[in-house]
Amino acid sequence: MEQGGGRGPGVVAVTGISGWLGSRLLSRLSRGDGVRVIGLDERRPMRLDERARYHRIDLTEPTSDGALARILEKERVEVLVHAAFRDDPTSDLELDHELETIGSLHVMHACAAAKVKRLVVASSTMLYGPRPDNPNFLDETHPLRGHPDAHAVRDRVEMESLLSEWAQRHPDVEVTVLRTCWIFGPEFWNRVVAYFALPVVALPLGYDPLLQLVHEEDVLRAFEQAALRPHPGVFNVVGTGVLPVSTLLRLGGRRVLRLPVSLLSRLAHFPSQTQTGDPPAAFYDYLRYLWVADGRKAWNAFGEPHYSTKEAWISFVSSRRMRRYR
Amino acid sequence: MDERDRPSGQQGDADTDAELQAVREALAELRRELRTRFLRTSESDTDSDRRIDWNEVLISLRRRAATLGMSERSGEVDEFGMDEVVLRRARPLLELLYERYWRVDLAGLANLPEQGPCLLVANHSGLLPWDGLMLAHAIERRHPSGLRPRFLVADWLMTLPFVQPYLARLGGVRACRENAERLLESGHFVVAFPEGVKGAAKVFRERYRLKRFGRGGVIRVALETGAPLLPVGIVGAEEAHPILFKWRPPVGIGVPFVPVTPTFPWLGPLGALPLPSKWVVRIGAPLRLDPLGPGDAHDELVLSRLTEELRGEIQALVDAGLRARESVWA
Repeated sequence: MEQGGGRGPGVVAVTGISGWLGSRLLSRLSRGDGVRVIGLDERRPMRLDERARYHRIDLTEPTSDGALARILEKERVEVLVHAAFRDDPTSDLELDHELETIGSLHVMHACAAAKVKRLVVASSTMLYGPRPDNPNFLDETHPLRGHPDAHAVRDRVEMESLLSEWAQRHPDVEVTVLRTCWIFGPEFWNRVVAYFALPVVALPLGYDPLLQLVHEEDVLRAFEQAALRPHPGVFNVVGTGVLPVSTLLRLGGRRVLRLPVSLLSRLAHFPSQTQTGDPPAAFYDYLRYLWVADGRKAWNAFGEPHYSTKEAWISFVSSRRMRRYR
Repeated sequence: MDERDRPSGQQGDADTDAELQAVREALAELRRELRTRFLRTSESDTDSDRRIDWNEVLISLRRRAATLGMSERSGEVDEFGMDEVVLRRARPLLELLYERYWRVDLAGLANLPEQGPCLLVANHSGLLPWDGLMLAHAIERRHPSGLRPRFLVADWLMTLPFVQPYLARLGGVRACRENAERLLESGHFVVAFPEGVKGAAKVFRERYRLKRFGRGGVIRVALETGAPLLPVGIVGAEEAHPILFKWRPPVGIGVPFVPVTPTFPWLGPLGALPLPSKWVVRIGAPLRLDPLGPGDAHDELVLSRLTEELRGEIQALVDAGLRARESVWA
């Protein structure tokens, strides 16, 4: 349990254990000895690691901060990993906002009340926003400009600004923010992954930006380390290397359909509105402009990622192939 | 057929040499016959081959067209998106433009350090970054280090549809302080055009008169990274796309103005081809920044003085280049 100088935490709580990140992190952390793991979610997940204790908490409820603080105090939680974010935005914009922004605020208040030592928050490099005037590598100090039309991104930008304000008022809590780029791997699944898994992938005509991916294994490793050892600050958790979108798709054997942006947005408008509540241009801008993050700070803190962008993509593609013939 | 039957039938009582000899002869005859038949058929094949096989021609043309585009690009790019495979394909074309089309006269290569980092600052002209491409090509092919310099490209061009994927693969990088610093820190040669859009959009009658240099960004980057700063004068790129006047369309069409050149937009897309002017490139001695260091990078007075000094040196190099040229075309 002890590595280096510091003693590892005794009790780690994880919010959002129904989601991919929360559930995988929970089972990873409970495998380590000397760590007691508390799982928090709105509903009990179907598969719950038997070493983990489960507490029900709905972060969208107005008094959930008090309820969460009581749980954290009773279990003497030292580290809280806040992963209760949607893998995908839903068309219920208000509920998404209640969960991602207000829910995170509740988590912060509960942490302050229960005197939690460390708070680890899951965020995304999508928050930097795809902009034509972005430098090729965005470091952690770059302003979070987000995207005006993507409500999930907007909510999380607001969450991060609340978090940084809160962190200044509570210097006794170590705050770690891990911003991940698009996650690919054999297991992880969200709308972005589903889009790239289509046999024919539509891309904006005339653009071929550099993309950056991270493998799910590297994401989990970074979160695990951030939970077990003090790493205060903001980190971009990204894979090494970049590749143009078209090259990725060619490596994956996907067919590419190039369409003008206006036509593409119009075609995708209806399905996109019903699924995510956002106009599709918000998503396609991420396939038009650069939003590559500089991961050197995280690589120094958590070690070099095991997978580069290309390897993460190939890991995803090969796992899909295996599934097809299973 | 009977030649075959005979040896097998007579194998049992083959006791005389004559019999064996007959078998051998028959086999030899068979072999000869087979060979002549085979040769005859192959001869007739080559006959038909001499006629042009249009199918073959079409297939090879298609293959050639595919390699001209980017369909066979590599699966690896560097961190700024430069693609070695695309570059290898483009080099003959760049060399042709360099040697035959613009007949670039290059001097002052010895002023470059043997290794990066190094910041080259040049005058800018022409809406398409031919000057950056040519300078990068010249240094890559003629400098002993063989390093390919990265040229910084204005934002609007770096995100222009259809142009953007190619520029990044050929070594273009969006012009901003973060990118320049990162490139210099990793030991690259970097070509900057601080005139920016103002330089690219110069009309013909203002040619070779340098515009204001941004806000001292190049000097600041050089001071902060400690990279040597070399002025470069490029003559000839102005005549490749001479802008007669800027036409501002009464209705917004997404661009601030339409450049009107002798060929564009009159000839349509053909008019976007550059004219074969004669180019002269002069690389000057490094600007002296000796007593100054990263601490002075935020002293505005120092920055503006050095920026003006740099602009003067580049203007002098441009003027020298103009004198070295007999005419626009020779």
